[in-house]
Order: sequence, then structure tokens, then C-alpha cells
Amino acid sequence: MTTTPLLRVEDLRTYFYSQSKRAFIRSVDGVGLSIAKGETLGIVGESGSGKSITALSVMGLISAGPGVISGRIEFTTNGVKKELLQDLGTYVKVANKENRIMEIDKDVLGWERNVERVMHGVRGKEIAMIFQNPKSSLNPFTTVGDQITEAIQLHTPVKSEQEARERAIDWLDRVKIDSPRLRYDNHPYSLSGGMCQRAMIAMALACEPQLLIADEPTTGLDATIQAKIADLLAELKAELGITTMLISHDISIISRLSDSVAVMYGGTVVENGPAKTVLAVAQEAKHPYTTALLASIPSAKNVTDKGYLQAIEGDVLDTINIPEGCRFYGRCVRVTDKISDSCEHREPDLREIGPGHRARCWLYFDPV
Amino acid sequence: MTKTILEVIDLKKHFTSRKGIFSSFRERQSIPAVDGASFYLKENETVGLVGESGCGKTTIGRTIVRLEKPTSGKIIFDGKDITNVPTGDLRQLRGQMQMIFQDLDAALNPKMRIRDILREAINVHHKISDAETDKRIAGLLEQVNLKKSKLGNYPQELSGGEKRRVGVARVLSVGAKFIVADEPTSALDVSIQAQVVNLFRDLQKELGLSYLFISHDLRVVELISRKVAVMYLGKIVEMGLADRIANKAIHPYTHILWSSLVEKQSTEVTRNVRPAQAGSWGVFDFERPVAGCRFAPRCPVYESHGKPAVCIDPSSEPQLLDIGDGHKVACHFPL
Amino acid sequence: MIRYTQISGEITELSDLPFWKKAGAVDLAYVGYGLVIVTLVVASYCLGSLNLLPHNPDDIDLELMMAPPLTPGHLLGTDFMGRDMLSRLIVGIQAYFLPGLLAVLISLVFGTVFGVLAGYRGGRSDTVITYINNLVDSFPRLVLILLVIAAFKPDIYYIMLVVGLTNVPVVASLVKGKILFLKQKNFIEADISLGLPTSTIILQHILWHNCRAALIIQATLGMAEAILMETSLSYLGFGVQEPTPSWGNMVQAGANYFMQGKFWPSTAPALAILFTILGFHLLGDGLNNLLEGKRDA
Repeated sequence: MTTTPLLRVEDLRTYFYSQSKRAFIRSVDGVGLSIAKGETLGIVGESGSGKSITALSVMGLISAGPGVISGRIEFTTNGVKKELLQDLGTYVKVANKENRIMEIDKDVLGWERNVERVMHGVRGKEIAMIFQNPKSSLNPFTTVGDQITEAIQLHTPVKSEQEARERAIDWLDRVKIDSPRLRYDNHPYSLSGGMCQRAMIAMALACEPQLLIADEPTTGLDATIQAKIADLLAELKAELGITTMLISHDISIISRLSDSVAVMYGGTVVENGPAKTVLAVAQEAKHPYTTALLASIPSAKNVTDKGYLQAIEGDVLDTINIPEGCRFYGRCVRVTDKISDSCEHREPDLREIGPGHRARCWLYFDPV
Repeated sequence: MTKTILEVIDLKKHFTSRKGIFSSFRERQSIPAVDGASFYLKENETVGLVGESGCGKTTIGRTIVRLEKPTSGKIIFDGKDITNVPTGDLRQLRGQMQMIFQDLDAALNPKMRIRDILREAINVHHKISDAETDKRIAGLLEQVNLKKSKLGNYPQELSGGEKRRVGVARVLSVGAKFIVADEPTSALDVSIQAQVVNLFRDLQKELGLSYLFISHDLRVVELISRKVAVMYLGKIVEMGLADRIANKAIHPYTHILWSSLVEKQSTEVTRNVRPAQAGSWGVFDFERPVAGCRFAPRCPVYESHGKPAVCIDPSSEPQLLDIGDGHKVACHFPL
Repeated sequence: MIRYTQISGEITELSDLPFWKKAGAVDLAYVGYGLVIVTLVVASYCLGSLNLLPHNPDDIDLELMMAPPLTPGHLLGTDFMGRDMLSRLIVGIQAYFLPGLLAVLISLVFGTVFGVLAGYRGGRSDTVITYINNLVDSFPRLVLILLVIAAFKPDIYYIMLVVGLTNVPVVASLVKGKILFLKQKNFIEADISLGLPTSTIILQHILWHNCRAALIIQATLGMAEAILMETSLSYLGFGVQEPTPSWGNMVQAGANYFMQGKFWPSTAPALAILFTILGFHLLGDGLNNLLEGKRDA
């Protein structure tokens, strides 16, 4: 049974340009994912993996040049399919040299205007996003309640101030902020980090979007607060059945909340599949990066008998100097002689290695 | 018997802030960032200091290395009382105790190349020739696992892990044996964090270092420390061997901290913790100073015991009591 | 359409590039022009003080009045009294060069000292210095200068002293701002914690590495302002007096002849003022972009 996924991203590429190095920063370099309605997709990755940029690309919030240069983002609600990267081809011309994109012509301003036109009515209303650092993501000059009310009036049929206000207070209560009526009139600086994050969640969900994108919602908050936000998101998920794209480098929250997981490294998805399969500790059918990442998390069971943590040697991939072959080559400990040549020179593509489980690794299929 | 390299006795650090331009001295608000902490650290040992933001753990670290002046109490380093050492003599002290800062860019001047940064650090405390300095730099790089090619780079060109390692090298070049590490793994990716933790461990073995490891990452602290002290609003509420604190905590706050690691489902205890009230200094709200035990307003045990008066009685603030095996707790109703 | 190109091969690191490759062409042009002007000024000053002039600036030649440029013997023509324009312009530099330097030096030295005291020490020093700064800032500079002229004499050095002193708050707040910024970045703390002596921290880390760009730019702007001040005052008759040539009073003297259609005696010095001040401003602007650099990702 194949139902159309709510969001489908295909071969997305978002590049930036470094003036000082005269080279492209290939932040998102061919990413494909899909989220079914009601599902929570967790995207795991470290810095430079491109996970946040992917989310921003979906929302059309990339303003630096060149930005999004290729790909398709299909957003289907109520049977209506909308292509969020409409007419991208008319604004961008890409030239390949030596098997890699080396020259890009882009009408940056024109594309921005196009994006605004396409995303109008989608942002906030159909797709809502919550960010890391809640204190700095809220408007410091208006009260929290007013911000939520404004969002409600903009994106829902509720237009009267009175009704919108009631709704906002109702949502503040739903996200477990104590004394919602009092907190309505607070400015962000009077609220703690955890409360700001709850307010942001209220603001996002009050407009009843189809898709919620949560970019590092618990990073930067205190330990006890992180757990509570995770609890809140789990409860809201059970209550509302909302489709979520959850982005984090914290594997514990991903494993707590996600149905399926995509692991990103160096701008590409290296593995995706059901959460239980991808995040299982056993090594057999998994991408080496995933297993190494899971093994490096500080915990009692990850410590070797000499008392050391299992770190991954080397540094996270620098997205300017993308290698020829597999991006994890050089840090991978599971390379065998048979495939080492392919690993070094040819990048594997994402292929299925189990039911609904795909990985990008020569270990699992023939390089030929 | 390994000797005690650092002993802190009833250390207090209060920050004063004026209430307004024309306030008189009496009206000054005093923020008790650290309100009476006592612990000791033995040679070649790691003591972990954990707590949420605003609890004062960073302030303790800074006060010990004398970046802040203690308000009262004693700091005894290597047998000598250094609490009131005059600023002029601090330089010599700095040769023996160093601090690694939370901010990766703190010690790295963006206009200086790594080579120059390390050279300068070495030349502060050792008057040696250029050739000797370069040899030492090479040795340091090897110790922290940094590639030689990075010497010619500027800090902006380094990754997070590399910056952290340069910071460690800079601190090591001084030759200190006691290091206060303030959130050394916070800004780093998970796979790099593991590298840094391993590095700390190696250096401790190789050079006989002692660490005061300040972090909010409970998992890392549990692994690297021998003893752990838990702080809440300026006071140490529980202290003991790392394993005990992580798995057999008896102070409600410690128990909540460790149980709230996100992968665990919330238990009865954690679900009943009330969120901290927002105040002007992290979680400390001056307008209503807490009398008695500071954790009482959020404590589920306080609730479940029917709000006993002894918990909020200002004259019976819970003191750190030794309950055996070096395990200390400050609570009227330990779990 | 914006075109982005990457050339294959080794991707350069910032530290490998010499500074002229990192900079934009426009900034290099600015700096180039500025340096040309500065060289001309300094060279002319030297020529002037050594009296290596093509003609004596006071030599009156009534037969060759208001000759246009490129008259044989007079490269830039003559003024309304037949005096050689080029020599007069060269000597005119003496009117503002050293005094301008004095102003710049005063503002930089005192400004830096006050800025460091206020920023590094903080506390009471900060309050006192800020108070003084605000006081000096609110003084109308021109009124002060006129007062000095009336009280003493229209000596350009006294005037430049005042200009320098009134510029001190600008430099001080610049330096203080930089120090506060560095403090925020835990820089200074880490240096103290390492055990670096205070003099090294202030002189090297703060001033040399972080403030030098801003200070150099302040120097160029200060010089430009000094030139403007001097020429304006001389034009009004308060600065350098006739017959000593100053670009300002040359413009003033030639003004009468403007109406008669003889533009050159006024225009020549006016153009000199324009190009010189422009040179200093552009030098400052170009250096700003070069040294501070616009760094990306």
C-alpha cells in the first residue's frame, strides 16, 4: 500500500559560496527523504551534516547565495500536491565539470521572489518550524501571548482578537506552561529557556499545521528541562498525531520520539529506515558511520575495557573539500580490502539493504 | 596515601549588584552564586562538578583559579592557603593551576597563527631559546594529537575539536598539574567529544594531572570522574563516588537529574518536579528568597511528605552530612 | 544572474593567501590612490622644507599673472600676482602637515590611554573617563578654536592642539568598545589565566592585534579632518596669514578674481584640497576593508 507521503524531498542540493576560498560549501549535496502522514522522522547528524540546512531549504528560508540549486520538494495535503521548488530550473543554471558541479548561475533575487510567492500560505500555516535557542527565536519586544495570537489570526480562520486570544491561552495551557493567563503577558526575557521553547511549540501548533519541523528543540536547555520538552512532544504527538521532522544531534531524543530515522553525514543521507532498525546497537546491517556514532556516545556500555570511549578518528567532514569516493572513507573502520578501492574513488548510492531500510555503503552491495 | 592537592573550605562568592545609580551601599543586592562549598581533590584524581545552569559550578571553578576573588572561605592549594594571595604573586600560582574555558575561541586570538599562540604560551613561564620552544611545541602537538600542518593556520580554519585541542595544548605548555576544565565537551559533536574525553584520560595518566571537571553532561562526568559533587543554587547538595551518585543517589535533586536523561521515560519522581521559576539570575529568584532548603519549592519529596516545616525553616538549612564511604548529602529526607 | 565559479584543484586556505589576493579590487584601488597622495604630500613637504622649489613662492612676476598651467617655466601656472603656483602649493603643505600630525598624535595617544583605562580597568576609571569624554564631546569645537585664537594668537599649532584634544573621546570610545568586545569573548580572561603579564595583554593582544586597523583608520581620518580644519580656518582668515601660503588663504585670495572669469588662482588650491582629503578618506576606507576584512563562512 503506497500512500503519497506528506513531504517528499528528492535530490536536494543547497550550496553556499565561500569568497575567501573561492569554493562551494556543499551543505546539502543530494538529499532525499520522505515523511508519511502522522509519522515522525528523526534526522540525526553532527555539525556539517546539512540537517538544519535541509529544514531551512524546505521552508524556503535560505537567503545566502547560491542557496538551493536543484531538487524537488513535494508537499501533498488533502490530495493536493504542491511543488515547493517550482520553476527552480528557470532561475538556476548549473554546469558540471569533472563530474562535479563547478559553476552555477543563479538569479538570486528572482528566486527569492518566487519562493515568497510559493511559500506564502505554506509557512506557518501548513508547515511550522521551531528553532534552537528559543529565547533568541522569539520576538523580544512583544509579549509571548501576542506573538501566538498574531500567528493564529494570520493562519487560521479565527480572526477576532478575543477568540484568538482565548485560543492562545488554551494552547499555552496545553504545552504545560503554568498560569497561562499570566504568562500570556510575559516577554521572552522573563521566561526561562524551557518555557520559551514551550511557547514556541504553542505558537507553531496553534495554527494546526500539517507538518512540524523541529530544529534541535532541546539543545541548549538544562538536562531536566530537556526531558520535559521531550515528554511534551511525545504527548502532543500521541494527542494530535502531528507529522514531524525532528532534527537533532542528540540521539536520545531521536530514539525517544521518532518512528523512522535518517542519518546524515557530510551533506548526504547515509542511512534511513525504521527507528528501531537504524538505532539498534547491533552492527550487522548498518552504515559504519551510524554504528560508530552510536558507539561513541558516552555511556557505561560504550566504554572499552581499558576505560576509553570509542571515538571516531579524524574530524567531521568539511563540506568544502568533498572527497571523490565515500564521504566516510578515512574514518571508517569497517573497510575491507575488497572494497577499499571503490570506497576511495566512487561514492555509493543509497540502496535498500533490508525492508524499508537503506544505506549508502559498498559493504552491502557490489560496487560493479 | 596520595596527597590532597586542593581543598576548598566553605567557599563563598557573592556578586554584588547595585539596585540603581543612586542606591546606597545597604541597598545592594547580593547574588550568592556560591554559598558555602567544601570539597577536596587528591593528586591524579578527577572530581566532577555537575548542576544545571545558574547553580554556581562555573563560578567555583573561576574562583579557585582566582579569576574571581572569594568573598569568604578558604582555598588551600598544594598545602598553601591561596585565598588571599595578592594579585602580584598570582602569576607564579598560575604556573601550577590552569583553566580550560567553555568557549572554544576563548584562548585563541583570531589574528594569531596557532604557532604564535603556542609560542607565546610557552614563553610566559619558561625563558627558553626559540629552538627549544619549537621542540616543545612539537611535543605538545603530539600529546594532544594535533597535526603539525595546523601550526600555520588561524583559529577560524580549525574545526571545533581541533580548537579544543589547541586550548588544551596551550594550558599544558604552562606545565600546570591541576586543571579546572569548564564544560570542555559542550560545544563539540558527539564523536569529537569522545576524542576529547579520551585525550583527557590519556593526559591524566601520562602527566599525572588532576582535574576539576565541570560539566552539565552527566554521562561524561560519570565516566571520567572518580568523585562527583552535585550543586544546586550555590550549594553542594550531594557528593560521593561517581558510581554511587549516578546509580544510588539519595538526594531528590540528584535522583531527578540522572533519571531525566532523555532516553528514559519519566518516572513518578521526575514527573512531579515543578519547573524552576524564571528569575533574574538563572533560576534564583531574589524577590522571594528561599528560606531553608533551596530545593524545597521544586522537591517532590517535600510535596509527598506533606510539606514539612523543617524543610523551609531558615534556621535548619540542611547541611552536608557524611553518611559513610565519603558519601555526603544535604537533605532532611534523603531517599 | 550571479555567477559562482569554483576552480578545481587545491582549495586555498585563508592563511596561505597574501593579503593582496584576499582583498577586493576596489579596496586595493582606494589604498593605492591614498598611498599616492600620501607620498606626494610627504615628498612635497620635504621639498618645501629644504627649499628645493622650482621658483621662490614669493617672487612676483607682474608680466605673467594668472598664466594657465603648462606655461613654460611654470608647470601649474601662476597666481594673480605672477607667483608660481606649484611652489606655493608645495609650501602650502607646510601649513597643515606637521600640525595635522600633532593633532593625530594627540588624539591617538591620549585616546588609546583613556580607552584602555576605561575598558580594561572598568569600574571607577570607566565612569570618570566616560564623564570626561561626554564633556569634551559636547563642546562646540569651532567655538573652542575661536576662543583659543582670540586668547592667544592664530597659531596653527594651537589650533591643531585643540582639534587633537577634541578628538580624544572618539578614539577612546573606539578602543574601549573593542576591549569590551574582547572581554565578552573571554579573551582577556584566558590571557590572564595563562599568566600573561598585563603589558603584553594590552599592548600585543588588544592594541596590536585587534585595534591597529581601527587606529590606523582613525589616523587617516584625523589627518583629513586636520587638513579640512586648517584650510577652512585659513580661508576665513583665522589660520595662516598672508603672505605665507596656505591652500586655504590661496583660495580666499583668488576668490576676488573668480567673478572676473579668472578661475585658476582659486581653483588650483581648491583642487589640491579636494584630491588630498579624498586621498586620505579613501585610504582609510580601503584600509578598513583590507585590514578588518569581510570574512565569510
